[in-house]
Amino acid sequence: MNPHLARHLTREQISKCLIGDATPHESQHVSSCAVCRGELARFELSFSQFRGSVRRWSDQEEQLSRVREVVTMNYENHLERLLIPASVDLPWYKGIVISVKELIHPPKLPPLEVTSKPVKLASLKGLYGGHETTAGLGSVIAHVAVVALLLFAGTLKPVQQAIKEVVPLFAPDLKPLQPKPKPEASKGGGGSPQRTAETKGELPRVAPKSFVPPIRPQDDPRLAVNPTIVAPDMPNINSPNYGNPLGGVGIPSAGNGIGTGIGSGKGPGIGPGSGGGFGGSAYKIGGGVSAPVPVYRPEPEYSEEARKAKWQGAVLLQLVVDENGVPQDIKVIRSLGLGLDQKAIEAVQKWRFKPGQKDGKAVPVSANIEVNFRLL
Amino acid sequence: MDRGLIQKSAPVADPPFEGGLNDFESLVRQHRPRIFRFLLASLRDREAAENLARDCFVRAFKARDQFRGESNLGKCGLATWLMHIAANLVRDHQANSRLKFWRRKLRSDLDPNDLSDWIPDQQQSPEALALAKERVDAIWKAAASLSERQRTVFLLRFVEDMDLLEIAVVTGMKEGTIKTHLFRAVQAVRLVLEAQK
Repeated sequence: MNPHLARHLTREQISKCLIGDATPHESQHVSSCAVCRGELARFELSFSQFRGSVRRWSDQEEQLSRVREVVTMNYENHLERLLIPASVDLPWYKGIVISVKELIHPPKLPPLEVTSKPVKLASLKGLYGGHETTAGLGSVIAHVAVVALLLFAGTLKPVQQAIKEVVPLFAPDLKPLQPKPKPEASKGGGGSPQRTAETKGELPRVAPKSFVPPIRPQDDPRLAVNPTIVAPDMPNINSPNYGNPLGGVGIPSAGNGIGTGIGSGKGPGIGPGSGGGFGGSAYKIGGGVSAPVPVYRPEPEYSEEARKAKWQGAVLLQLVVDENGVPQDIKVIRSLGLGLDQKAIEAVQKWRFKPGQKDGKAVPVSANIEVNFRLL
Repeated sequence: MDRGLIQKSAPVADPPFEGGLNDFESLVRQHRPRIFRFLLASLRDREAAENLARDCFVRAFKARDQFRGESNLGKCGLATWLMHIAANLVRDHQANSRLKFWRRKLRSDLDPNDLSDWIPDQQQSPEALALAKERVDAIWKAAASLSERQRTVFLLRFVEDMDLLEIAVVTGMKEGTIKTHLFRAVQAVRLVLEAQK
């Protein structure tokens, strides 16, 4: 076996061949071993292509710059162009030093030599055919006449009268007439500890304070007091039993809330809210009510099924952020399915908010929250 | 520095510019393409290359009396001498541009994708052309990542086809140093080429 072919060249040896630094042994191996020669040829081809690309590029640029030269430059002062002034080539720090120096001691410039001479122009006289005086006088007379006419017109009685007849306008003070913003009807609601939701019925009398709740009035009291609730004026109906005039029909009930009112809320009012009055407990964002801002928002987890199904989307939740910034009463408005709704609710239950405010006071605010589920 | 070399040179022995400006002009016409090509490949910036090519001839013209057909490393031709000036200019330019870091954004750096458009033999088949384009791209990329000395040596060897002795004269480095630089450059380029496959 040929000793040169005993082993193929290593990477380093091939690199050495490429740079023309091969030992005689290595070059002999290359000349006799087809594999190594092929390897070498591959790289040489790459390099030659590189060389070709550089040459073509530079030729092209050369041609372009020659074209530019032909367009913009004169062959006469070919060499002067090469010799650019040394000041252009100064490094920046020297430039700064020079400009500071020049600022302190401005270089004395050679006296200005005026190379131009005044040229005599033909006289303007005669352009008007010798009527300069008449034309000037005419112009003066015309101006004076116009001004005199204006002054004279100002002295006339009818004109002065017309100027005097002015209708004075003044801006009336509309402030007392402006409508005052209505005090916000107090929110809130009431409730009573019964099992079923409140039913249709007559609203008890409205009073500022509820002494006797509309439910379970004491039988045969010594001093009968009509049951009252704390509520704003609202439409009422005639009915044998107390209830919500807007409620549904059913076994008479005053609602399943807490307190002495009617409805599912808390307190002596009517409705699902708390603290008396009528309506839901939560404010809506806007109109002086600021939105609650989440301050702690753990990410929702993915449910196993949704992960397997590569299910993505968003769950829309409605909730009430109470005065303490805790989400309450979370409901799904737009469901996504595959257990993601539950995961969204679980996550949002852990969220904490800076509560929404009205007139600087934290109030319960209802809000919609979109919980996104994205698979990365 | 070229100045060092030029000043070290002995008094005029055989000034090649006896003919004066006309002679010099023909010299510029003859050598400019090569110098410009080297500068362009080194800097990848047309304007800078043009400026440096001009500077190169300006320096050569100013020092024309001191050229005597040999350098401190041995005999060298006019082309090598000019290339030596160009190589020094490239080095100065790189050193300067390190100071001018704020200019880097403004510099019209060429996109490597454009560089590979200048492939010779456009009559090749599309596949071969695409392959060649990729290879040229890779070499440009590799060359850009080399250090300034390695790149200079690499370009002189593989674009200008100089042998090691000539490169030694041009760069003023010892032959062994050049071999090392060249070897590292080739290894780096090969690494990129092989990674591409």
